[in-house]
Amino acid sequence: MAKTKKKAKGSGSQSSTHHHHQDSSTSHSIFKNSPVHDLLHNFEKAPDQWAARYVLVMTAILLRAAIGLGGYSGKATPPMFGDFEAQRHWMELTIHLPISQWYWFDLQYWGLDYPPLTAYHSYIIGKIGSFINPDWFSLNASRGIEGSDIKFFMRFMSLVSELVLYIPAVLTLANLMGKKFNLSRMDQIIISLLTINQAHLVLIDHGHFQFNSVMLGFFIYAMIELINSSYVIASVWFIGCINFKQMGLYYSTFIFVFILSQLKSFGQLVGVGVTVILSQAVVLSPFISDPKQALQILYRVFPFNRGLFEDKVANFWCTTNVLVKYREIVAPQTLSKMALITTVLSILPMNILLFIKLRKTKNVIPGLIYGFAGNSLAFYLFSFQVHEKSILIPLVPSTLLLLVDPSLIDIVQWINNVGTFSLYPLLKKDDLVLQYFVSNFLINWLIGRKLLMKSRSMVWDLIIKGSYLSLVVYHIIDYTSDPPARYPDLWVILNISISFAAFALFWLWLNFRIYKLKV
Amino acid sequence: MSAPANNEKTKVAVSSKVTTEAPNYAVRVKKYSLFNIWVISLTLKVLLVIGYHSTDFDVHRNWLAITNKLPVSEWYLEKTSQWTLDYPPFFAYFEWILSQFIPKFVRDDGCLDVVEVGNYGMPTVYFQRLTVIVSEIVLFLSLQWYMDSSKTHDSSRRSFVAAASLSLSPGILIIDHIHFQYNGLLYGFLVLAIVSAKLEKYLMCGFWFALLLCFKHIYLYLAPAVFIYLLRAYCLNLEFNSKKSALNNILGLVKWGNLLTLGSVVIAVFVVAFGPFVYYNEIPDVLSRLFPFSRGLTHAYWAPNVWAIYSFFDRLLIQVYNRIPLSQFPLQKIFQFDPKLLKDSKLVNSSTRGIVGDIEFLILPTITPKLTFLLTLFYQIMALIPLFLQPNFRRFVGALTLCGYSSFLFGWHVHEKAILIVIFPMTFLVSQDKRLLGPFNLLVTCGYVSLFPLIFTCNEWLVKVVFTLLWYIIFHFNFRKVVRLPKKLEGQSGIIVDRVINLYILGLIPMMTITTLMDIFEHKFEILKKLEFLKLMIYSVYCGIGIISSWNGFSWLYFLDEAIWDIEA
Repeated sequence: MAKTKKKAKGSGSQSSTHHHHQDSSTSHSIFKNSPVHDLLHNFEKAPDQWAARYVLVMTAILLRAAIGLGGYSGKATPPMFGDFEAQRHWMELTIHLPISQWYWFDLQYWGLDYPPLTAYHSYIIGKIGSFINPDWFSLNASRGIEGSDIKFFMRFMSLVSELVLYIPAVLTLANLMGKKFNLSRMDQIIISLLTINQAHLVLIDHGHFQFNSVMLGFFIYAMIELINSSYVIASVWFIGCINFKQMGLYYSTFIFVFILSQLKSFGQLVGVGVTVILSQAVVLSPFISDPKQALQILYRVFPFNRGLFEDKVANFWCTTNVLVKYREIVAPQTLSKMALITTVLSILPMNILLFIKLRKTKNVIPGLIYGFAGNSLAFYLFSFQVHEKSILIPLVPSTLLLLVDPSLIDIVQWINNVGTFSLYPLLKKDDLVLQYFVSNFLINWLIGRKLLMKSRSMVWDLIIKGSYLSLVVYHIIDYTSDPPARYPDLWVILNISISFAAFALFWLWLNFRIYKLKV
Repeated sequence: MSAPANNEKTKVAVSSKVTTEAPNYAVRVKKYSLFNIWVISLTLKVLLVIGYHSTDFDVHRNWLAITNKLPVSEWYLEKTSQWTLDYPPFFAYFEWILSQFIPKFVRDDGCLDVVEVGNYGMPTVYFQRLTVIVSEIVLFLSLQWYMDSSKTHDSSRRSFVAAASLSLSPGILIIDHIHFQYNGLLYGFLVLAIVSAKLEKYLMCGFWFALLLCFKHIYLYLAPAVFIYLLRAYCLNLEFNSKKSALNNILGLVKWGNLLTLGSVVIAVFVVAFGPFVYYNEIPDVLSRLFPFSRGLTHAYWAPNVWAIYSFFDRLLIQVYNRIPLSQFPLQKIFQFDPKLLKDSKLVNSSTRGIVGDIEFLILPTITPKLTFLLTLFYQIMALIPLFLQPNFRRFVGALTLCGYSSFLFGWHVHEKAILIVIFPMTFLVSQDKRLLGPFNLLVTCGYVSLFPLIFTCNEWLVKVVFTLLWYIIFHFNFRKVVRLPKKLEGQSGIIVDRVINLYILGLIPMMTITTLMDIFEHKFEILKKLEFLKLMIYSVYCGIGIISSWNGFSWLYFLDEAIWDIEA
């Protein structure tokens, strides 16, 4: 016994060399009593933290693999199927057709309507898939193919894409912010875990089926470089982001404002400008020789001839459409102009404020994250042709606010919950109800009731608890009864109204926080 | 990293400014709880509900139907489906109880139809999966009880790691929540028996073990250890009292009162279980269901045990015989087999010849059930001798482990799933001494990986592989942190052995990668289809060698190292 005691002491003095690491990890964390802390605290000490990262990444994989057992968009619904088939179809067409036909092929089916990086990504995955089983991607013959092997292959590729980009990006950002804001390692790990495992992204990418994590990964890497003040590299990452999915443009106004506010010389501006143009040219290079091709991409990627919004989405236009039937009283062209003007008006005040504040302050990071959250949410709420899935774009920077101030956890998780809730009608169609409830339960349980319901102020208590109550009521109504035959969309409209109210309040709060931001 | 001594301990000691030899941490025992682990694993299990399940699902559905629809007297006679009831009566009662809770929409789904092949939909799946999840709470409660029984801070931490590793066992996840069985419940009872033994509640130990036997008779393999332990620790008194007469001493050898109470408890359990069938005069029918000796030595996929290696050598010799003409004469001389059989391609190519015919081995001598039984018994008795001489809790758990090992390694028609019978008891021991970690790591990795072929659907592939890997990283790491160091430091040889073990475990990764690649490219290259059996053989031979080595390592420590087993020291 005496010997082991000596050993214990010995190890104590050994580990004291790591003490400067440990000090920060033992500092008070607001997650102290949450289940997520309880589960991870075994890895709290500095020498053990490598294991915590493995655990984090592998639990993320596990969650995605388990969610992936469920249904996907358009399963067994010929003739058009859904997003799963769209993605698979792009792999099929890119590997079989010359590049000049990519944006022209059978537009009536699932014609390619994402920017070139998605096309290249599809090409690579299609090549790998064809190597394993050519039937999965044989031209035309493979349309609507279903089966556990192709499903698993696609899911696996979505997972790999996320593992390569999004997850390392979040971990790197958390690490970087941890240093800047003196966050303990434990908090960094917990916040990364909460960011990575938010129900909406997992359900959309690995349930419904899409590759949003690639775009979001590019975005976070751009943000990391902005924090590092390397604007040239940041713009390369950002070009990657918008060239993977055009929805990345929701971030574009603010990245422009931010870089502009930080530039010290005209030369820098030229440097960034040239980089943007050059990298965009590189992405487009296979198409650039023929102006018709470039125009076709533009036309496919920005379908201005489509409606004000698609399906039902919890933004300003779709929600108020219940009261004012825009499409009956205004011409489509005017509508798109209206949307443009509203969007510009909605982002103008916060960007002016941020520009002034960012020029003055030394600590630009809070402004950076608030700016991305506020701008992208404004785009979601007011711009033209918004999809319900686009809510993922404002939710990522909103969640990253935790890295600036972990005590915002109640508000951040609240908006994430509402965001997932706004996707419920879509997920229900995809047969992902079980997965929806489980993943929502998981993330909220990990944080714990004490943090989610902590009291902040009367108004916030009312907002947060009120909207949780309405979510619960909605699910009870949805479970127990069908909507009346005259209004088959009534439940969906109820859903988007609740969601819109919450998004709008959150957006106002973001504006307020930006206004209050200390210089 | 170098000294896995308790970090918590140093922290507490430092914070309370106790720098001398007067630590006060033993007073405050931190309470650990499995609740959060239960919740988080629950979410995964619920997500797996809709995933792949094996024919065992229909087996249990059929039992629900039989017990619900038929009178008790027909339970063990009914044979509409090939999945006849072949578990002992308590399991049948358990199914009957479950069947009372089936709501109407599940009944309408075909859950309770006594038919040849079940015709059921998602409601039945949800219901039955839910019963597994709910009944598994027994395992969590029993492990929580085990943790609560620790008296010091250190032992509390050690028991927490052990309990957490069992409650998150990939074996339970794969077998119960993907494949479909009720091992969580059954191993919960085993843990209850083990914890009772730890607390010296011998009657309870006997009760829980008897109950377990009446749920599933595979645990008979552990019965010798339980029997000897309870006999020696509770019913015998071997201390010679020189003041009394020789006759009194001989009579005093047996604690008659204890023997009688324990005996009546155990018999009472068995009477409750088998009583109705005695009444209906159906005991022979029940027994013939429970012990079907008509099956072959090895299961369709060889469990990674001695017979897998034996079969592998038989196949190897067939190839040698067919390809090297020079070898034919000596092989023929040594093994004296019938060379005509080797010409029969149907026999040579079948995976388990026991199903095709009576001959399982073409060159090596045939193995009879009697031989396997004798081998199992021999190794079990060897393990029981030290237990009889030193009837303490650690010896008991060690003997349980070795009984499990010998039944798994030498038994007749062993399933790969039976590896849990070794892993469960051994987990209670492993944190007692660092030298046990090597055999333990080999056992769990090879044991759990050998379960992979059970789940062959591609969508569950990631779940089983990542979960097992994650489990191993977490617990490899945590066991190393809490394990006790041996008093005398290991020599160079110990370190080398550890390295070899770790290398062997790492070798599982290329092994799995190769077999998975063979799976993936199966329909691309015709030849891979023919090698279907090779894949399974790689699994069982690689894992088999690992498990046999871990048995050797554990036996070595069990028989030759006194320090681990002496509780007082």
